[in-house]
Amino acid sequence: MTKRICLVVLSVLLAFATFGCAKQQAAVATASDATPVSIQAEPEVSAAPMTTDSLGIKILLEQDADMMNNYTVIAVNDAAPFKDADGKAVSGVAINTVGAKALVDWLMSSKAADLIANYGVDEYGEALFTLKEDKPTSTAVIPQATDATKTIRLSTTTSVNDSGLLDALLPVFESEYGYTVEVSSAGTGKAIAAATMGNADLILVHSKSQEETFVADGYAKLLDGYSSERLTFMYNYFVLIGPVDDPAKCAEAGSVKEAFARIAAGKYPFVSRGDQSGTHTKEVSLWPESLGITTDPASVAAYSEWYLSSNAGMGVCLIMANEMDGYILSDKATFLAFEASGGAVG
Amino acid sequence: MDSALERALRLLVSGDPLLVSIIVVTLKMTLFSSCTALLLGAPYGVLLASARFPGRRVLILLNRTLMGLPPVVCGLLCYMLFSGVGPLRALKLLFTVAGMVVAQVLLISPIVAGSMETALSPLVGNIRESARGLGLSRGKTFLLTLNESKYALVSSYLLGFGRAMAEVGAVSMVGGAIAYKTNVMTTAIMMYTNMGDFSYALALGVLLLIISLAVNVLAHLLQRSVGI
Repeated sequence: MTKRICLVVLSVLLAFATFGCAKQQAAVATASDATPVSIQAEPEVSAAPMTTDSLGIKILLEQDADMMNNYTVIAVNDAAPFKDADGKAVSGVAINTVGAKALVDWLMSSKAADLIANYGVDEYGEALFTLKEDKPTSTAVIPQATDATKTIRLSTTTSVNDSGLLDALLPVFESEYGYTVEVSSAGTGKAIAAATMGNADLILVHSKSQEETFVADGYAKLLDGYSSERLTFMYNYFVLIGPVDDPAKCAEAGSVKEAFARIAAGKYPFVSRGDQSGTHTKEVSLWPESLGITTDPASVAAYSEWYLSSNAGMGVCLIMANEMDGYILSDKATFLAFEASGGAVG
Repeated sequence: MDSALERALRLLVSGDPLLVSIIVVTLKMTLFSSCTALLLGAPYGVLLASARFPGRRVLILLNRTLMGLPPVVCGLLCYMLFSGVGPLRALKLLFTVAGMVVAQVLLISPIVAGSMETALSPLVGNIRESARGLGLSRGKTFLLTLNESKYALVSSYLLGFGRAMAEVGAVSMVGGAIAYKTNVMTTAIMMYTNMGDFSYALALGVLLLIISLAVNVLAHLLQRSVGI
């Protein structure tokens, strides 16, 4: 019996030792440690398909007005007509409106504006987001967090989260006012759906039509001191990415719509997110109308020889485009991060 | 450009606070869920294998069906239950480690039970015969069966542990992969892969395997030392 108890204690200790190894490596980061690591990692390295030194894709078109990407923050209405899965009305859904207002006020403050306007300059040599000239501003006094308002649930899109902007902004807000912002990210469609199910206090998304539906359905809250539920405060541009040799001559197309028309006419491979994300919504709006491409997968069934509807995240789609020398619409921040990491494991 | 492995190794030894939090949350979630699943699933599996009662076949069939429950379905179910508009919203389990553990227990308990049932079924006849020969009571027979199932118990636990640590579909839905709170290895690997940040993803993959190796070494020593 004693022996067994000893073993249980030993196993718990070893579990923590494992964790300790990662934490204070200096002592253990020796050759002896490296050996098992390389053995473990071998299958993954051999499975990695691309160890190219340079990327086969690059930015072909950017800064086109049709590719403008507006980001909007919306506070969730605590008195929204929440419904459960069966469509029955649900009351008493817990929404932290005070916390949401605090974060919105802070995002619209001049301090946050400075941080947003300069984000990316150090890492990529250019700002990744630009503030809207007509953005709402706030000088409201932001209350310190209390136990009841401390946790703020922010539902956002992967592209915002992946750009790293929130990692640069939120810790400043959190340390100054004592809140904890829990960020969950998904495609715009899912991010908004989470809010309609009472799982977010505010949303930060980039798909105008879906935002307007959200407001029209009564899920948005008009905060004191603002003139609209939808607070569009910053933007960047989507970029058209394609093979370096650009067989469709998109770089000389002049406009993004013309570039898309050339891709379709020449049936050059195109990778679509296909996941109802803001990027996907934007992409389907750029094709010639005669093709009839919408976010509905059935609408692209006829184009399957060149149009790849992948239903995956931005990074995965970029890898696909790189692999198959395809064209792809991406948000700029993710592509720059992708480019910086070599686009692959190399 | 460094190789991914070099970057992975450097990351592993850097003590990056985000990485540390991911590892801590992963271990917490895995240990809690696998132990709970063992406590629930193992006795149930022993019962299914050894006891004779009406409806036993149906329960075995049901359990085997649950073993094939797709994690995403389980995740979706828990998401709907714990959601802000869901029936169990008062528990406030959505986007918490506790909520992830609940989803994991739902997924893993049937697997542990099924594994125990499969391992014990062939032995039950002999055990019952010896018990009858020794004149043991039903309770004591059950204990004897448990004692005979030590080896199966360890391997069933390992199965549950492996499943708990490798799970991604359910935990990403219920946990929401919130940094420093519910982001575990697998959801982080997904996240960083989606971002094209392969070296971080790879580093986490390597570490996941190391932890798994450590647990398996432990279990091996355990099995050897208790002489089973």
